[in-house]
Amino acid sequence: MAAVVVAAARGLTKRYAPDVTALDDVDLAVGAGEFVAVLGPSGAGKTTLFRCLTGLTRPDRGTVRVDGHDVWSGPRELRQARRAVALIFQQFNLIRRLTALENVLVGRLAHVPTWRVVLRRFTRADRQLALRCLDTVGLLDKAAVRADQLSGGQQQRVAIARALAQNAKLILADEPVASLDPESSATVLQSLRSAVGAGVAVVASLHQVHLARAYADRIVALRDGRVVEDAATARLDVRAIEQIYERSGA
Amino acid sequence: MAIATGRAGEYTEPATPWWSGRRLRFLVVLVLLALFYSVSWRLAQVDPGKLVTGLPKMAGWATKAWPPATDELPVLLLRTAETIAMAAIGTTVAALLAIPLCIVAARNVTPSLALYYPARWFLNALRGVDSFVFALLFVAAVGLGPFAGVLGIALHTWGSTAKLWAEAIENIPPGPREAAAATGASRLKVVAYALFPDVAPSMASVGLFWWEFNVRASTVLGVVGAGGIGQELKNSMDLLLFPRLLTIILIILVTVTVIDHASEWLRRRLE
Repeated sequence: MAAVVVAAARGLTKRYAPDVTALDDVDLAVGAGEFVAVLGPSGAGKTTLFRCLTGLTRPDRGTVRVDGHDVWSGPRELRQARRAVALIFQQFNLIRRLTALENVLVGRLAHVPTWRVVLRRFTRADRQLALRCLDTVGLLDKAAVRADQLSGGQQQRVAIARALAQNAKLILADEPVASLDPESSATVLQSLRSAVGAGVAVVASLHQVHLARAYADRIVALRDGRVVEDAATARLDVRAIEQIYERSGA
Repeated sequence: MAIATGRAGEYTEPATPWWSGRRLRFLVVLVLLALFYSVSWRLAQVDPGKLVTGLPKMAGWATKAWPPATDELPVLLLRTAETIAMAAIGTTVAALLAIPLCIVAARNVTPSLALYYPARWFLNALRGVDSFVFALLFVAAVGLGPFAGVLGIALHTWGSTAKLWAEAIENIPPGPREAAAATGASRLKVVAYALFPDVAPSMASVGLFWWEFNVRASTVLGVVGAGGIGQELKNSMDLLLFPRLLTIILIILVTVTVIDHASEWLRRRLE
């Protein structure tokens, strides 16, 4: 890819038992301003890949570098790397009793002194940034609404705003639309797409091929822990992708 | 064995032989329960006959108690206020002390397991000793009066509140906390910002419950000399002042009822 590499995994291998291989020598490089969709049937290794990229699961072999920090060279480097990565979850994981704005400010927690967090008194600059992020995902009018009063799609967009507020270089989204209806899925992916427009790299695992084709620049397909496809969306034909699911499901 | 469909589309039900493990276990439990209650009956020296002969005595007291004495009402009300104050101060001090302890004693947010287990033992020890027993010790240490009661309530409630709060924290779904931790925020920030809002209502509810419980408990604390209305109760009983005793019991009933309802109303509003 032409752009600066934000995250790079080399030779990632992870076995859970001697005969259960979750990842098998996976290479993946993601550039700034790139939207990569990871496709693959359940059990293909998508979640393990995401967990290795964020330092939640330690690979047996291989390296992960995020924003110039080696994820597995110590806790300091890990924390530096984590600041550069924002996570989006299938279940949104908002703090239910806080407002949308207060949830977006979670993205600032690592950047402000502890007393400000405890008293929930953020600087004007942070509040303005959080509001701008809510505006980006089209939810400025919901800033003062409690998270548990929002619909699933709106909650996921708040989660995206939270990721944006982190000023992360990379947004990792593990099945961000798996529990959403088609319309909400579209708005959520559109929000991620606009983050990419601002220079952020996005890696999202998806189940629907047509969504990957509509929103991603590049599609990486995993099967049995191996990368079986890695190409620009425009150059992939539908049949090849659909085979990934068929062969494994048989 | 597969469940086959028999004739006329009926299913063959899985058969349970009478000697099956499940029925045997049920029988064993039944026998053990019968044994337990017959031994308990004897150990507790239950004697319904004594109750029958004792009842007229109590009825005699009841007739002597009417009408309730009103001449000392201001003093008794002051003592009741003392009881409520003991419960309020004791519970509040306990709650403040329980905040750090409940975090250490909650498995999912404890800073380290090396602290978690001692914290659990400590709060179980506090919980295991009733505030009544603590008050007894404190009366010996700081002298008669409500302060001993406050200390007794505070210690026992400290352990009980911390345990229930720790359990409330352990029941909070981990998602929001993980999301906050994944941004690179420190543990303290995560607990204060992502965990506290979720757990605060149930913490407040537990706190109110213990205040209400302690008002009831501290009516008795006076019996060991730890001040409040309980002390008047014991005095009246010792001197066989039945009308005064009746007044005290009525005051306790009204107070406890009002506080129960207030606390219940508040707790319902929290949910």
